[in-house]
Amino acid sequence: MTVSEVKVVTGPLADPTGSTRDDCAVIALKHVTREYAGHGGVVRALGDATFSIVAGEWVAITGPSGSGKSTLVNLIGCLDRPTAGELKIDNVDTASMSATELDRFRADKIGFIFQQFHLIPYLSALENVMLAQYFHSMTDEAEARAALVRVGLGDRVSHVPSELSGGEQQRVCIARALINNPPILLADEPTGNLDAANQKIVAELLQDLHRNGHTIVMVTHDPEMAGLAQRRIALSHGQVFCHPVSGPMVTLRRSTDRL
Amino acid sequence: MFFRLLMESFRRQRRRKMLAGVAILLGTTAVTAMLALATTIGDRIHKELAVYGANIVVYPKADLLDVKVGGVDLKPASGGAYLKESELAKLKTIFWGNNITGVSPELPALMAIARKAGDPLIAVNAVGYWFDHDFNTFKTGAPTLHPWWRLEGSWPIPRSNPDSRSVVVGTNLAKKLGLKIGDTFVTQGTQSAPSSRLTAIVAGIVTTGGEEDNEILLTLHDAQAYVGANDAVRRVEVSARTKPEDAFARVDPDSLSPKQREIWYCRPYANSIAYQIREAIPGAQAEQVRRVEQSEGNVLKRISGLMWLISAAALLAAGFAVSAAMATAILERRGEIGLMRSLGASKGSIALLFYAEAGLLALIAGTIGYLLGSGLAAWLGARIFAGDGVAAEAVLIPVLLPVVVALALVVAIAGSSPSIRTALRMDPSTILREDA
Repeated sequence: MTVSEVKVVTGPLADPTGSTRDDCAVIALKHVTREYAGHGGVVRALGDATFSIVAGEWVAITGPSGSGKSTLVNLIGCLDRPTAGELKIDNVDTASMSATELDRFRADKIGFIFQQFHLIPYLSALENVMLAQYFHSMTDEAEARAALVRVGLGDRVSHVPSELSGGEQQRVCIARALINNPPILLADEPTGNLDAANQKIVAELLQDLHRNGHTIVMVTHDPEMAGLAQRRIALSHGQVFCHPVSGPMVTLRRSTDRL
Repeated sequence: MFFRLLMESFRRQRRRKMLAGVAILLGTTAVTAMLALATTIGDRIHKELAVYGANIVVYPKADLLDVKVGGVDLKPASGGAYLKESELAKLKTIFWGNNITGVSPELPALMAIARKAGDPLIAVNAVGYWFDHDFNTFKTGAPTLHPWWRLEGSWPIPRSNPDSRSVVVGTNLAKKLGLKIGDTFVTQGTQSAPSSRLTAIVAGIVTTGGEEDNEILLTLHDAQAYVGANDAVRRVEVSARTKPEDAFARVDPDSLSPKQREIWYCRPYANSIAYQIREAIPGAQAEQVRRVEQSEGNVLKRISGLMWLISAAALLAAGFAVSAAMATAILERRGEIGLMRSLGASKGSIALLFYAEAGLLALIAGTIGYLLGSGLAAWLGARIFAGDGVAAEAVLIPVLLPVVVALALVVAIAGSSPSIRTALRMDPSTILREDA
């Protein structure tokens, strides 16, 4: 069965506590469209996307190049706003926010994990983590150090990125994403730039984070990584196709239950 | 973290920052030099134009009055009124007293001389002057106010022997009488005591290109003694630092409102200084020598205009150079900008970081530019106003430092703004993808 063959619209799901999917949604899109003005007219990068992701869920976003993955990630990451439709993050409609409010909101709600790590080359691992604290509120070295210990880099805090392996750099990136305790981790090809050994380390780390209740939205081309997620949202030509959970059913949490 | 990012940007982008810094440095150096010169140019131009003589002349008010009886002018040819030498000290007490830089009183006398006793007498004009007079805070006299006078020998020294006088003879008169330095001649008594005789010793021969070439120059006290008018002065030349004349300078102060008159009075126009001299010395008429004042004003106006033009051009060029250097520097760091935006940094906080970098650069480059510019001003001053005795400290004007640094800040911030605004307009997700 291919992505284009099955189109599943996610609906309210019952959970053992009686909460519905919409009640527990930390990300909710309703008929979200994003269009850009191009030279040849308006280009629809994402069309009429409707789905929700509940707190504590691990969702993989897949699709070929040009399918709208980046547009979707930008929207969920509050780096962009929809042209039409409603996008709620943690029950707040991002369309109604000013640019400054959106910056603040992004610092509070989203932790980014990049394929290319995007660490500041002249700052140490510790300082790179503290950078996220600085733009969020205020720096706390002990807390940043603890975040690095949590990703297994307690002995590499003073190393600059060029002194770290790819896997270690990605773990610094994960520590930085976690440091402000955001409800959503947005991972863009988190293992796309890693060898198999490091890919395994990062995958285990994400699994660990998921077990601890983090909501993870992960863009990936890697079927193995996508297989770790509970649900796959497939994109093609700007359209969303959602697959049901392939693994064990996730226990739905309210966003406020996040650890 | 802010300072860490700030310092690292300087460490990592040393070349780019250096380029922008040098642009600011050159701009502020030029501006400092121009401002320093413009600030002191008034004094310098005044000194330069002082070679053309005094800018205020004081004489007895009585000389203005016509004394005619039955159509006959009864006023003595040499003028009958005198000012008092002792009252000249009051010149230093006027509101703009400190602007007075030279004073030269004169007292003319008609003298009958002969090479030696028994020779036929020749009538010559003599004028008494100060030559090296201690005028409270400075020494002044005719040589100071007439720097173009060329002297061979020495100026007359105050009388030490009651029977002889030390004099300087004008070059034409010296030739006519065959007098050389060290020669003596006799004067036929004095106007007050015609029967007495005194010996005069030629201390020097002066060439002035004026009437003085046919005259005898002696000390004011000797002239007073000869004329028999103690403390008398016929005319006083005054050199003062003045503000270039404008329309307001030429108004009649008595026609102004009290407030306007006070403003006029408190501006160092030659006219207002002359007015204050008239107030200070009873019976004195003081007037500006208009030609010198106008020359000074015209020169100052043109030089100031040129300096402002050079300053503006230097700052504009610096602004463009900073803009180009900062555009490259910021473009190199677009990945950082994208990351910061994704971490929730507001555009304002990122702009603050870049503006702080530009500001710090301006502070450093502006301060160095101020020091270099002061040095340049000293050098230029010494070159342009050669022989003026200009020292470097003479143009190290502390009040210019904040002005120059502020200008450097304006240039750096204005130059950086387009690049910063462009960088902040970029879509962070696009930047991060491009940087990948």
